[in-house]
Amino acid sequence: MSNATNSSIAEKQPRVRFSPQRVWTLAMATVTQLVRMKILAFLVVFCLLAVGAGFAFSVINPEQQLNLLKSVTLGALQIFSIVIGVVSTALLLPKDMEDRTLYTILSKPVPRFDYLLGKLLGVLLLIGGGLIVMDAVLSLILWLRESMVFEDVVTRMRLEKMDTPEAVAQVREIVARQGLTWNLHWAVWAIFLKAAVVTTVSLLLSCIASSTLFTIIMTFCITIIGHGHALIREFFFQPHLSSAASRVAALLLAAICPDLAQFDIVDSVVNGEIVPWAAVYDITGIAALYVTVYLFVTHLLFVEKEL
Amino acid sequence: MSDTPAVSVNHLTKVFKGTLVKGAFRAVHDLSLTVKAGEVYGIIGPNGSGKSTTMKVILGLLKPTEGDTSIFGVPSSEVASRHSVGFLPENPYFYKHLTGRETLHFYGSLCGMRGAKLKERASEMLELTGLEDAASRRVGGYSKGMLQRLGLAQALIHEPRLLVLDEPTAGVDPAGSRKIRDLIIEFRSRGITVLVTSHLLEQMQEVCDRVGIMAHGRMVREGRLEDLIAVENQTEMVLENASPELLAKIDALVKAESGGTKILRSGHPRTTLERLFLEATNEAKKS
Repeated sequence: MSNATNSSIAEKQPRVRFSPQRVWTLAMATVTQLVRMKILAFLVVFCLLAVGAGFAFSVINPEQQLNLLKSVTLGALQIFSIVIGVVSTALLLPKDMEDRTLYTILSKPVPRFDYLLGKLLGVLLLIGGGLIVMDAVLSLILWLRESMVFEDVVTRMRLEKMDTPEAVAQVREIVARQGLTWNLHWAVWAIFLKAAVVTTVSLLLSCIASSTLFTIIMTFCITIIGHGHALIREFFFQPHLSSAASRVAALLLAAICPDLAQFDIVDSVVNGEIVPWAAVYDITGIAALYVTVYLFVTHLLFVEKEL
Repeated sequence: MSDTPAVSVNHLTKVFKGTLVKGAFRAVHDLSLTVKAGEVYGIIGPNGSGKSTTMKVILGLLKPTEGDTSIFGVPSSEVASRHSVGFLPENPYFYKHLTGRETLHFYGSLCGMRGAKLKERASEMLELTGLEDAASRRVGGYSKGMLQRLGLAQALIHEPRLLVLDEPTAGVDPAGSRKIRDLIIEFRSRGITVLVTSHLLEQMQEVCDRVGIMAHGRMVREGRLEDLIAVENQTEMVLENASPELLAKIDALVKAESGGTKILRSGHPRTTLERLFLEATNEAKKS
């Protein structure tokens, strides 16, 4: 029977379109799965680390004390979010295939794009939820530490009879700049965006790779290369430095790897610099673009994949 | 019931691309079959004969190299074809951190079901497959037979008109296997079309209306079960409480008949080992 004949006798079936509800179902199943795998245990580790960094060291001057707290905790946030994103994503898709769970899902009226988006959204919800909790813990500790540090310094100045109004005002200004500000939340937002881009890269690789280990290693390689994107571009635009083949290789790397250094505003936040709104818009737009492009390529690969 | 076939496979060929080490592999070669709406159709064949590949192409999980397949007239390549089909893969696994009920809610939601209707349907399926008592337990603790029944429940959750079952009794004990067989017979009575593969020929014989025998990617025999297994030149007669004298008379009658008629064998018919096992285990349960 030909396709034409088939379609003439085909019974009316509603067209299957993109469904946000279906994507949400897949995302929530992914979140439930990861939460019940106790993957959020890292939250406890983070909280201990934050408390340790905040109160364990009796440091030097107020600026260094608050700097250290932010530097250690934001660094930990970056590592945790990327590791969770890469490992969760690299495990989920191949495991679904290995366990044949994918067969039961895709034999329902579920377009492959919905499945991919649901999985990605689930991992991003988990990372986002974890970051919100950790941001709240960090904010609380920073706020407590800020007032304690200010009191300590002023008491010391009073004992040394150096508590002039100008000196106290200067300390207040330093502590306020290094303490809890909106900049801290922007840093956490930038960490989330970077993790989202790396997670999407991991999803793409898990569609091509035949092993979880390969996906994880390759994603970490791309993450490292992505932080040196500026160096690759510089190498490409300086013809006298290398051969044509090396430059083509550099161009390919630059095209494949995301420029992750774009999201590095953590150092500025740690140093108490103000992050302008425009910068926040920029990194959000760049991340959205990267996620869209990588997801589109992932879809093209996944839709052709033989299961 | 509509005239549109539940499943239509037309000149299907599936070749898996080779690698540098291994060449291409032709899993299915010019296969055609039609499953009528409402019947139970069995595909049997040895391992590697192309049964599972055929099923995957029908479900749109694999793309055909040549030919086409459709479900109730809708090409398998269209996601819409899967509105009418429920699939139970061989040895299914589900998200082991979900409970049985959550698993059914998950699959129902994927099919667009919501709220009270979904809850009701999930409960109905748990009851049908005998899993009500295990509904709140995580799937990770289910036995193989329970997983298989949960697989059937998820396949049925959206009330499909076609069920595709790949080795539904693989690794299941005889009692669980019997339960699945009974369910298939019940599905047929409800008008659900079933396409099933199995290695267990006796089971297939009990449930299938028609079978296709595959070997090396080709359909080597196909037809109604009675027609395929009937030995045309032999007749079977089973007597109850027959005396030795009656048997001797029959024997004499046959010997007196010309034209090469002869009794090939006579004796007590034997039950199957499976039936004996089920009777014995049921007796033990009662006592």
